[in-house]
Amino acid sequence: MTSTLPLTGINVADFSWFAAGPICAQTLGTYGATVVRVESESHMDGLRGVGPFPTGKTGYNVSGYYNNYNVNKLNVTINMNTDKGRDLALRLVRWADVFITNITPRVIERWRLTYDELLKERPDIIAVYQPMQGYDGPHRDFLGFGAVLTPITGFSHLTGFPDRPPAGLGTNYPDYVINPGHTLVAVLAALRYRRRTGKGQRIELSQLESSVAAIAPAVMDYTVNGRIETRAGNRSPYAAPHGAFLCKTIKVSTPFGEADEQRWCAIACLSDEQWQSLRRTMGDPEWARSDRFATLAGRKEHEDDLERGITEWTSERLDTEVMETLQAAGVPAGVVQNARDILESDPHMRERGYYVYLDHPEAGHNAYDGPGFRLTKTPAQYRTPAACLGEHNFQVATEILGLTPDEIADLMAEQVLY
Amino acid sequence: MSDPLPSALDDIRILDLTGQIGAYCTKLLADLGADVIKIEPPEGDATRLIGPFYHDEAGPEQSLLFYNLNTNKRGITLDLEDEGDRERFRKLAATADIVVESFAPGYLDSLGLGYEGLSKLREDVILTSITGFGQWGPHAGYLAPDIVGVAMAGIMWLAGDPQDPPNVPCAYQGYVCASIQAAGGTMMALYHRDATGEGQHVDVSMQEALLIAEETAMQTYDMNKIVRSRTGGRTSVPFPVPGIGPYEAMDGWVFSYVGTPGGAPWPEMLRWLEEEGMAEDLSAAPHREVIEQLNLRFLTAIALDKDLREKSVGTLERIGEVLSAFFKSKSKWELYEQGQRRRLLIGIVSTPEDLAKNPQLIARGWYQDIDHEQLHDTLRYPGPPYRLSETPWRIERRAPLLGEHNAALGPR
Repeated sequence: MTSTLPLTGINVADFSWFAAGPICAQTLGTYGATVVRVESESHMDGLRGVGPFPTGKTGYNVSGYYNNYNVNKLNVTINMNTDKGRDLALRLVRWADVFITNITPRVIERWRLTYDELLKERPDIIAVYQPMQGYDGPHRDFLGFGAVLTPITGFSHLTGFPDRPPAGLGTNYPDYVINPGHTLVAVLAALRYRRRTGKGQRIELSQLESSVAAIAPAVMDYTVNGRIETRAGNRSPYAAPHGAFLCKTIKVSTPFGEADEQRWCAIACLSDEQWQSLRRTMGDPEWARSDRFATLAGRKEHEDDLERGITEWTSERLDTEVMETLQAAGVPAGVVQNARDILESDPHMRERGYYVYLDHPEAGHNAYDGPGFRLTKTPAQYRTPAACLGEHNFQVATEILGLTPDEIADLMAEQVLY
Repeated sequence: MSDPLPSALDDIRILDLTGQIGAYCTKLLADLGADVIKIEPPEGDATRLIGPFYHDEAGPEQSLLFYNLNTNKRGITLDLEDEGDRERFRKLAATADIVVESFAPGYLDSLGLGYEGLSKLREDVILTSITGFGQWGPHAGYLAPDIVGVAMAGIMWLAGDPQDPPNVPCAYQGYVCASIQAAGGTMMALYHRDATGEGQHVDVSMQEALLIAEETAMQTYDMNKIVRSRTGGRTSVPFPVPGIGPYEAMDGWVFSYVGTPGGAPWPEMLRWLEEEGMAEDLSAAPHREVIEQLNLRFLTAIALDKDLREKSVGTLERIGEVLSAFFKSKSKWELYEQGQRRRLLIGIVSTPEDLAKNPQLIARGWYQDIDHEQLHDTLRYPGPPYRLSETPWRIERRAPLLGEHNAALGPR
């Protein structure tokens, strides 16, 4: 293990909010960067007001949604709608190697935090903008966040069963890996280039473009073949069976009492050999021996019957038993896990210790998502829980912005450090 | 390279041993300028047989999926089970900064080509391994096509209608997310190596790569012991909420978030209905009074107050009816563009055709036309996920034909 992390010494001015920006900045922080998150009493991160909240607690410092994306950061409140606030922001930019924001272009321009403006303060700045649509183009000022982005980018049309409305993935999906993950790659490339040449640059990640890049096969099926793909449920042209199969219902305890929970196991046979293994594992039932199912083409043709037969077997068994038995026989299978399974019972997750538990002064002892990738010699560090709003105003103002205590007192009274 | 623009990775060579789970990782690095050599088995990467195919003609040189995942890479074939080819691989490995692979954990070790073996050939090598469950742990050896990853990471549990089985997200999101995380991890390790001369092994698990995309499900259970489940895109309140959810347009679908913070409030929607002469009885009592206050706070109050709920449900249903009829009378593009100009949170449910014709993507020159001289055709590809002003993303070369660079790179 090395004591310095890859980004030790890198300073990040995090002017982002919600998910796509803060998650990227958080990753930079877990690998050693010093991240200062800028918010304001008048412009705080919307996620602070969105649950979940720890049972019995309220207030804008305890949201599990917000806190999960803001570990390791210092938090300062700067009222950007004042001239003095903007001066403080520019001081922070002078300190920063990386500036990141996903706030809408209109507001960034009003705050005069465009790349041209930042360059005057810090000529080698790496300035990262994550607009919804882009800083130019006819839809530049369209509204949106992840929930609207999922339909706009094609995910909703392409996911789900054909006889259902395009409901999406149940989450603001591109916000969490696709957009912050793409951004991270770009930032690290820019940091590397700057180390080689001394030159900074501007990075623009249009969330629309970044997300559509993630469904490339369907896009090219249209641009090349003219086919408009549509959602087709869980099946695949290249595997049969391929889907989620109903397993034995279990009893679970909930805050509202004991309840039944439907359980599912995903099964996929990518080859005829895997199908033969599945057939044998099911006890070689009469129906499965039929020649109709011997080849992929046959299984695709009779997929309704195939799925019905497999469900007869899975529905008598626990999902974990189905998965473990099939994996032992060389058949791809995985429980359709929920958050409780992953947090509490998945033995693999427990052994790898993915989740990180941190003690937050207001929210308490909570789980946080761990690293999306693991560096064996320089592993991610989760040092401090998400900061409370303005928690580090004094520290940032003195140590980073170079203000005196008197100046700080004045700025607080004037609602600039606010 | 003819392009005079500088690149962030033009001094970096990467050996790419990945299958479908990892090919997007090396594509991201290749599109930023790295010299990526894709090493396929003699029969070719299995991804070559996954569609869609050029003009629907299945074949190893026709996969659009393969084309897109392997832009800018050169390609050679090596049989790692063969000692002669392994020696060729070792010679190449000595010249490589990074090796990316997606074999079952332990396979490369069994050939003497795991991290330990590679670091003897190249002391500061970075080895990035991309698998379903990572390099160690009780499930490390599990077979993990995309569906197993998205199932085990809780993504399927959240997707779909409660009456259906949980849904698999489109377009291999397990693979895509594993690859994106792997590209970030590889770049992080490279930044560290540049400064210290120290290489390392980057371990990417598709399951772990996806977990943060459970959104708040993990925290909701951790904090409240409540399991978030799939809702079919509907709100979880026990009454109709007009303006939130998927709505049918004349020619497709839109997704509406009218009444939520961040967009114009419901009265703006009513003004639009009135201007189009489609407000019916919504301009009058009791509907107008409800519309004036139709926001999340009001909805929360209804959810908590049974009397208020019973009083309001009929009105909400009527508002929903009128709104549905209005949406149905307009095209999805009209609803999206006109709604957005009124600052109403309405998104088009884009089909691939809508994406290809999206005025924003076209105005920004996003799509890339790439020459495939062997097809005598130029194919339109998705463009950059990000735009770097100094070291831009770019495609300079289509994906390699099978073994196309065997001669140039001299393995045979």
